[in-house]
Amino acid sequence: MVSQNQSPSDVKRSGIQSVITIDHATFSYDGAAVFSDVTLGLQPGETLCLLGPNGCGKTTLIDCILGIHHLDTGRILIRGEAVTALTPKQMARHIAYVPQNHTKHFSYTVMDVLLMGRTPYLPYYASPSAEDVARVEAVLDEFRLYHLRDRDYTRLSGGETQLVMIMRALVQDTPVIIMDEPTAHLDFRNELMVLEAMVRLASQQDRTLVMASHFPNHAFYLENEGVPVQVAFMNHSTVTLSGGPSQALTQANLEHFYRVSTQVVEYRVPREKRMFKQIIPIHTLDKDI
Amino acid sequence: MAPGQRAKTIGLYTLLVILPLLCVLISLFLGRYPIPVSEVFSVIFSWITGERPDPTHFSVIFHIRMPRVVLGVLVGGSLAVSGAAFQGLFRNPLVSSGMLGVSSGAGFGAALALILFTDFFFVYPFSFGFGLVAVSLCFFIGRFTASTQAITLVLGGVIVGSIFSALISFLKYVADPMDELPAIVFWLMGSLSRAEYSHIYTAGVPMILGTAGLMLIRWRLNVMAMGDKEARTLGLNVNLTRIFIIVCATLATAGAVCVSGVIGWVGLVVPHMGRMMAGNNNKVLIPVSFSTGACFLVMVDNISRLISTSEMPLSILTALIGGPFFIYLLKQTKGRQW
Repeated sequence: MVSQNQSPSDVKRSGIQSVITIDHATFSYDGAAVFSDVTLGLQPGETLCLLGPNGCGKTTLIDCILGIHHLDTGRILIRGEAVTALTPKQMARHIAYVPQNHTKHFSYTVMDVLLMGRTPYLPYYASPSAEDVARVEAVLDEFRLYHLRDRDYTRLSGGETQLVMIMRALVQDTPVIIMDEPTAHLDFRNELMVLEAMVRLASQQDRTLVMASHFPNHAFYLENEGVPVQVAFMNHSTVTLSGGPSQALTQANLEHFYRVSTQVVEYRVPREKRMFKQIIPIHTLDKDI
Repeated sequence: MAPGQRAKTIGLYTLLVILPLLCVLISLFLGRYPIPVSEVFSVIFSWITGERPDPTHFSVIFHIRMPRVVLGVLVGGSLAVSGAAFQGLFRNPLVSSGMLGVSSGAGFGAALALILFTDFFFVYPFSFGFGLVAVSLCFFIGRFTASTQAITLVLGGVIVGSIFSALISFLKYVADPMDELPAIVFWLMGSLSRAEYSHIYTAGVPMILGTAGLMLIRWRLNVMAMGDKEARTLGLNVNLTRIFIIVCATLATAGAVCVSGVIGWVGLVVPHMGRMMAGNNNKVLIPVSFSTGACFLVMVDNISRLISTSEMPLSILTALIGGPFFIYLLKQTKGRQW
């Protein structure tokens, strides 16, 4: 379990124990720098909330961690191994990925889609075995979504689809799960269902999550639920690491990065008997930087 | 897996083996040369026991009907499996086994051989060779964009296909209208009438190799259909897998086309019949497609043999018979699993 009071800044960032180490990473596309000199470290059980405006390079950074793009300079290590040295199969045993937009081309059953999470453990010519099916069924049970097992996944709602993608990542049994805007296009309830799923993942077996998001409140939500969260702002091709949500998501920082005037509030919900922190947006500021 | 599901799986695979065998058996009884049903049984029985049957009947059944039917199974199965694999690989239900220009390349090779040589033998290596050349050209075009992305390959396939179609038209234009032109036209409409055992031994090799490769990798086709980025993060070497699938599908299709000519419909619509009956999971769809394609082509070829004294080209019949059957399937399944 995750300890509630541990502040991420207390965690030593030696880089040796880190699950993910990003070391002076620079990447440019057609000569234009997407990001430069990014340095980050993530410990087991920690969740990184990657915030930043549209087009700031969050997805590119994620693609570099996944080994899809290669850095110009610097390096990225996954549990001490350089991502550039890993085969897709080895990589898929370290990191599972939840896509931002999943395009459905063929009507597979939910079971078929979830079984794909077992790919990195199968020989090239093999199909999933009865044990793989059992693993998927256990995850479906855990999410209380067993009734989706034989449903046609092209007929699922956006929220259900996202949960299927998260379950597929879980079936992959990796220490790291990366999610690119997992709550994009979801309604109020489905958004919360996805966040609840994330809390469940983060509190299991020291799993490390990376989440790109447009919503700073998501960082507070995770913190409220006791997940150790690190917030990183990505803007103007650099990453500013600002520590835990309470330290990072200050009114001054939000004004600076989003050009939004806000108020961070803290309140006790009587029937929950614990504190909830949240950002209340007040109004936008002129974008004259 | 639940015991009921296991039994269902075993039942399905048994059916997939038995149905084509049944089609083969039925086909041995059918033909324009009249052999009574009991005589066919006695010829088959004496062949098994090693006795000497009536030589004429033996020859009709085992040297005319049998190779044709076996080739029909291989060609129909190969085309359908390649079509299903390409549809999954390119994430597009509208592509067929001829997607990357195999059929037009092979058609050009055949037409060229028919014009250059008097011996029909040269048609086989020429059509097979040019089928492979066409697909290699698609790859070459894809190379210009530094990636083997699906869309560049599809576009390359369209371009290469139309270039070879134009070349076929040119050859038709210069061909001798008395004998070469009809031979080209007939070849381009597909037929199994030249079937011999030697075809099974030579063209059967690429067909069986290609089909076996696709059978082995069929579950990974599901993962490929998730898109390149997801397939990669699920642990697949996307480029290598894609090349393997294309090589297998090309071998199978080129092997089929070089002995049977261009048979339309099977590589496009039979996989969809499979999708309607068995769903989109390639683990089941690929074997179902093979079986359906084999049964379908053998039965259509039977009709082609029986319908008139001169043989009807297969592409005419595959569409005329397949079309109504497809509509019937659509009505029955309402496209549920499609």
